[in-house]
Amino acid sequence: MLEIKDLHVVVEGENEEILKGVNLKVNKGEIHAIMGPNGSGKSTLAKVAAGHPEYEVTKGDIIYEGESVLEMDPDERAHAGIFLAFQYPVEVPGVTNSTLLRESYNTIAASRGREELDPLEFQDYIQDKLELVQMKPEFLERAVNTGFSGGEKKRNEIFQMAVLQPQLSLLDETDSGLDIDALKIVADGINKMHGEDDAIVLITHYQRLLNYIVPDYVHVMIGGKIVKSGGKDLALQLEEKGYDWLESYATVNGEAN
Amino acid sequence: MALPSNVEPSVLHNLAKHAPGVESAFMKKIREQSMEALNRSPFPHRKMEDWRFTDLKPITRTEFVSMDEAGIRPAIDVEKYYIPESDRSRLVFINGEYQEKYSSIGGLGKGVTVGNLADHLDDKEVEEYLNKLVNYENDPFTHYNGLMFTDGSYIHLEKGAKAEAPIHVLNLYTDSVKPYVSTPRMLVVAEEESDVTIIEDHIGLSDNKYMTIPVCEIKVKQKAHIHHARIVRDSLEAVHVSRPIAYVEKNSEYHSYTITLGAKLSRNEPKVIQEDEEVDFTLDGLVLIDGEQIADTHSTMDHRFSHAESHQLHKVVVNGKAHSIFNGKIFVRRDAQKIDSFQENRNLLLSLDGLVNTKPQLEIFADDVLCSHGATVGQLDAEEVFYLQSRGMTEEKAKEVLTYAFALETIENIKVNSVHQLLIDEVYRYTKANNVDKVTA
Ligand SMILES: Nc1ncnc2c1ncn2[C@@H]1O[C@H](COP(=O)(O)OP(=O)(O)OP(=O)(O)O)[C@@H](O)[C@H]1O
Ligand SMILES: [Mg+2]
Repeated sequence: MLEIKDLHVVVEGENEEILKGVNLKVNKGEIHAIMGPNGSGKSTLAKVAAGHPEYEVTKGDIIYEGESVLEMDPDERAHAGIFLAFQYPVEVPGVTNSTLLRESYNTIAASRGREELDPLEFQDYIQDKLELVQMKPEFLERAVNTGFSGGEKKRNEIFQMAVLQPQLSLLDETDSGLDIDALKIVADGINKMHGEDDAIVLITHYQRLLNYIVPDYVHVMIGGKIVKSGGKDLALQLEEKGYDWLESYATVNGEAN
Repeated sequence: MALPSNVEPSVLHNLAKHAPGVESAFMKKIREQSMEALNRSPFPHRKMEDWRFTDLKPITRTEFVSMDEAGIRPAIDVEKYYIPESDRSRLVFINGEYQEKYSSIGGLGKGVTVGNLADHLDDKEVEEYLNKLVNYENDPFTHYNGLMFTDGSYIHLEKGAKAEAPIHVLNLYTDSVKPYVSTPRMLVVAEEESDVTIIEDHIGLSDNKYMTIPVCEIKVKQKAHIHHARIVRDSLEAVHVSRPIAYVEKNSEYHSYTITLGAKLSRNEPKVIQEDEEVDFTLDGLVLIDGEQIADTHSTMDHRFSHAESHQLHKVVVNGKAHSIFNGKIFVRRDAQKIDSFQENRNLLLSLDGLVNTKPQLEIFADDVLCSHGATVGQLDAEEVFYLQSRGMTEEKAKEVLTYAFALETIENIKVNSVHQLLIDEVYRYTKANNVDKVTA
């Protein structure tokens, strides 16, 4: 479904590389976790995949469903089924959650050949999704993320995911900020949504999340590269040993390139 | 009745000789005072501090003529601009002249007097307040209005009277062969504990050049409430120079919302003057301009007594080569303690060629005062645009939605449904029409 090949990325107009040759392959039905120290480039990878205009790909490619997405605008990628749950969801004062979601749902539905819903049908449709992440209906009429607590924002991201039914979900530290109960609820929701036809990439710092959402693969990103990949046990190892033992591996590998 | 002018004559001074005659001694007095004042009031220019940023060419480069010489064309589709809520509480003026046949004033309930000023010159309150409240020193526009107006809106509420419907003051400006100058006038006196909502509308019926100089005097007595929406929908070639002044007495409230969509050049100088303690007032504004429009707001909030709450949110969206100017004076006099005053001017600049000048001007002589004020000039937030795009909206749509959301805040306060809806549509039309260019980084 997704293939990232030797991806090099800089901030638009700057020289220093943030991503220094990332390779990642995600198949339908899989769950991948990406872990790694602060500043290693995890969010950048997710944002670049979603088409953030601040970054420039200087080398490599992102192939989604067999085609490069590099020339696609963020909305076109969303239409194609890519979804990014933000590490720091943006507050959009003046636009209500329900306005945004209906607008989004219908544009995405139109381009994916699903049926568009009128306001009443949408009401029904959205009800199940609220339940899925146990979100209060009041949030629908509030401005997107505006004044939401940290945890509420994260839950709202997953609620949007539930509504939009993406094919490839990039969840950037969705667990950070959620309390213990909320984490279980949200993880549960994600598990219910996940099936054979979609794929999920989780970015997280905590092994705990992976107890709830069990990944097929775990990758470690250090210094703008994926330096090690493994099964879910790798997360346990990291929990125990930290990243130090991989740090040297990263540099050696970096110089070898 | 022209007197020799003491200042360099301008278009206003030159047209003064066309002042229509009046019968009553009271009006004659107003004419004389206005003439005298006009003759010592120089026409503004860029060297005056209050006019530094304002390009007056739309006035100085236009040959305005008297109403008689203008070749006025008839008004068309007047009914189109009615609002249903004011079906029986509407005053219509065409180029400043009262229109009895379009007006409808029966639906306001007990204790509310609404009509043409010219028909109420003998009313005690008119004698007491007309041309007495207006206070714009050395301002030739104000004095020109005083010299020229015959008709005008008169709204009076007796003690405890609550207007049963919003009053729609519909000022229409017609097409003409040559540019003319119109001088709408308004006097509102709300006695104790009365309550009224006023929609003051200015609409250009065509795309011609004209100048309108509305002067509005408002007295809000103890515990009275006034909600005043002012909508500038003049022709995009027009000049709109307005002077609304409100005096607020003890425990009264005055809330004003000025929405500027039209006019090539608008200069709005609202003033609120506190006359006693415990008042609450608002001077909000929303400006949506494009092309070569210039919208200038110079406001004054004068806190003279303790315990006042005042609020001014002035929001501006600038596209094309448009130019917004904001100067918000806040006075807090020495004995005015416990003042809670909020002022913010937020500007959204959608184009590279747009221009914004903003200046809060606080003069505070008391010490127990909470004054927050700020001004921001910005473009659409790139993160917000990306966020919406990542949810499937096109860049264009995302910018449209964000601009719309930015503008909506002021409009939310307008209580009359159809006007609220009309303004939503106007905002929507504006954001749509301005295919909000790629200006975010
Ligand atoms: N727009 C930008 N301008 C400048 N530097 C940037 C920008 N975006 C990312 N960076 C830098 O790139 C590096 C990677 O950032 P990124 O946000 O991808 O890290 P991360 O792995 O997600 O970290 P964390 O675990 O703290 O979320 C950091 O050093 C960051 O400062
Ligand atoms: Mg991150």
